[in-house]
Amino acid sequence: MVLAGEMVLAVPGPLGDLLPGGTVQRGTVVAVDGDPGAGATSVALQLAAAATAAGEWAAAIELDASLGGLAAGEAGIALERFAVVRRVPPARWAAVAAALLDGISVVLAEVPAYARVGDTRRLLARARERGAVLVAMGPWPAEAALRLRAEGSVWRDLDRGVGVLAERDQRVHVDGRGAAARDHVALVDAG
Amino acid sequence: MAERTACLWCPDWPVVALRARDPSLDHAAIAVVERGERGLVVIAASTEAAAEGVTSGLRRREAEARCPGLVVAEADPQVEARAFERVACAVETFTPRFVLEEPGRISFPTRGPSRYFGGDTAMAVRFLDAVGAIGITDARVGVADGGFAAMLAARAAEPGAAYVVPLGESPEFLAPWPVAVLEDPEPGEAAELADLLVRLGLRTLGAFAALPDGAVLGRFGSAGTRAHRFARGDDEATAPPAPPPPELIETAELDPPAVHVETAAFAAKALAEQLMARLGALGLACTRVMIEAETERGERLTRCWRHEGALTPAALAARVRWQLEGWLTADDDGSVEELATSGLVLLRLVPDEVLPATGRQLGFWGGDPAAADRAGRVLARVQGMLGHPAVVTAVPQGGRTPGERVRWVPWGDPREPARPFEAVAAPGANAREIPPWPGAIPAPAPARVFDPPPPADLLDAAGEVVTVSGRGDPSAPPARLRCAALPDRGGEIAAWAGPWAHDARWWDRRTRVRRAYWQVLVAAPDGERVACLVAVTAGHAALEAIYD
Repeated sequence: MVLAGEMVLAVPGPLGDLLPGGTVQRGTVVAVDGDPGAGATSVALQLAAAATAAGEWAAAIELDASLGGLAAGEAGIALERFAVVRRVPPARWAAVAAALLDGISVVLAEVPAYARVGDTRRLLARARERGAVLVAMGPWPAEAALRLRAEGSVWRDLDRGVGVLAERDQRVHVDGRGAAARDHVALVDAG
Repeated sequence: MAERTACLWCPDWPVVALRARDPSLDHAAIAVVERGERGLVVIAASTEAAAEGVTSGLRRREAEARCPGLVVAEADPQVEARAFERVACAVETFTPRFVLEEPGRISFPTRGPSRYFGGDTAMAVRFLDAVGAIGITDARVGVADGGFAAMLAARAAEPGAAYVVPLGESPEFLAPWPVAVLEDPEPGEAAELADLLVRLGLRTLGAFAALPDGAVLGRFGSAGTRAHRFARGDDEATAPPAPPPPELIETAELDPPAVHVETAAFAAKALAEQLMARLGALGLACTRVMIEAETERGERLTRCWRHEGALTPAALAARVRWQLEGWLTADDDGSVEELATSGLVLLRLVPDEVLPATGRQLGFWGGDPAAADRAGRVLARVQGMLGHPAVVTAVPQGGRTPGERVRWVPWGDPREPARPFEAVAAPGANAREIPPWPGAIPAPAPARVFDPPPPADLLDAAGEVVTVSGRGDPSAPPARLRCAALPDRGGEIAAWAGPWAHDARWWDRRTRVRRAYWQVLVAAPDGERVACLVAVTAGHAALEAIYD
């Protein structure tokens, strides 16, 4: 038996304010996308932080090995409960994602270009069956309960030779079912 | 004084094991490689390959370049352990009290056998004859006070001969060895320690041994103390390990009897985890374990395995598995009979040497134990699919750049940082006055850190490459960043900070790196700004990270 409250995962912080009810639905796919530098990775890391904040586990699948471990810690992830699978061959991507969804609450997965729609459908079903959240990073060809698009950041404290990168306002476009029917464009302060 | 110990060493055992399985390789140049942090690295080479300059520690490509026609095989500890069971049986006919250190190396106390055979040298010759009789001719025996000195004595011996260090002379024997040999009993941590000692000018074990105990503990911690004891020729624990209480023995009855290695290994894995969990709860670590099995026909098989440092559940399970392979599997060519003539009915793990755990046990994960169990299982499954090092976890550590400040540790290995967070204070100095890692790039950390960093061009307004002088002064303000990894291959720089000039390892001419870091905001074609971290080394820029 699963209680209604357990069907959602609360997302703390400014990202949570953007999401319907401040939560993501378990058993669904959240697609996160954005140009390099627009902040998509930071958004995904905040979703993983939501899992470890609840005492659960999170994992990430990378096709290369570029996820910043320090940034993961700064996003609030409890690093001892965050595993990263690096340099996954694109051919085995779907099998690894399916295995992780079996036992881990939030799985961040970089989606390879030209991912097969059949694979993505199977992962969708697996996430639903296990009550896990699949955060698809990159172009996601199947349906998703929530689509987050990072649209860029404004760094407040840096000018020509003055200041450093410190605080930023991040624009995230939220698109999804239910409470999130209308588009949200808002600022996330990730400073 | 440390117990008088003999060490029987078969050099390049992985090669011997490989040839035992495939005799056609007898005169071929062979290198056995293992996947490490640097990719595939040679861990053992046949004499034919060694003659061409293939040495352990070489990367696979380099080895192949030095020796055309080199046969490269991946290390398989199970096959190596299985082949070594023959040697263990030969040694067993002389002494029952021996310890398997690793496939290829056995050690045992000499008190009994030496007296019986009339001295250490006579005993060593007997052992070499016995091992020679099963076809291993280049084994060596070293006899000294303590296991570490005996291991080095075996290394000093000629092939097929013995090297006996006279009683009480082990410290003198150890003194001239370079500190790098400390890596052998305990790789990893000890390698860094050896590296540090060399930089401090302590090049030999003798020089390290001469330091006072208290200073070693204060400066190098418990790992340093352990290495210091090795260097002094005193490698027994200061207090003799207490005999473990009988309730720590873990027993599993196998019904139906296990005939296949897989079945027995499955039971053994659970047993190993139970044992380690029980020891962990008591704050104990295990360094030596007896693996016992009984067969349907009442045979009792026993082997003792040791691990420097402390056994982790995974390391223990691997050793039990190797041993079961040895007992339950006959060699393909029938040269070795299976030792167990019938299925195993009982499996027992007896912790033979337990010590108070000194912070090497696995960390406390926190969180829901059932969730931890589920997560552990699926991560182990992914490691099974892609290899142990494919699944990693981030461990924050000291350093200056975002890449340096995280160590990626394979899942399941101890989460220990390689670099301390704080700079080490000189004695008497106020620790607060020493800034941790001067010149560190300030927070926030970039979410994408590239390894290796893609090359880039950092240009000034005139289109010239921006350089940074040794004093940290830039030639001109940066105006443009070009890099294939950026949208539209980069663009104008709208704002910047830096440079942070780093002069890393200035004390070592070979590894010294001078580098300058810039934080830049690059204008993307759609009017957005991409925040990047750029490193400039000797005039060449690279895109280190993106603040995604």
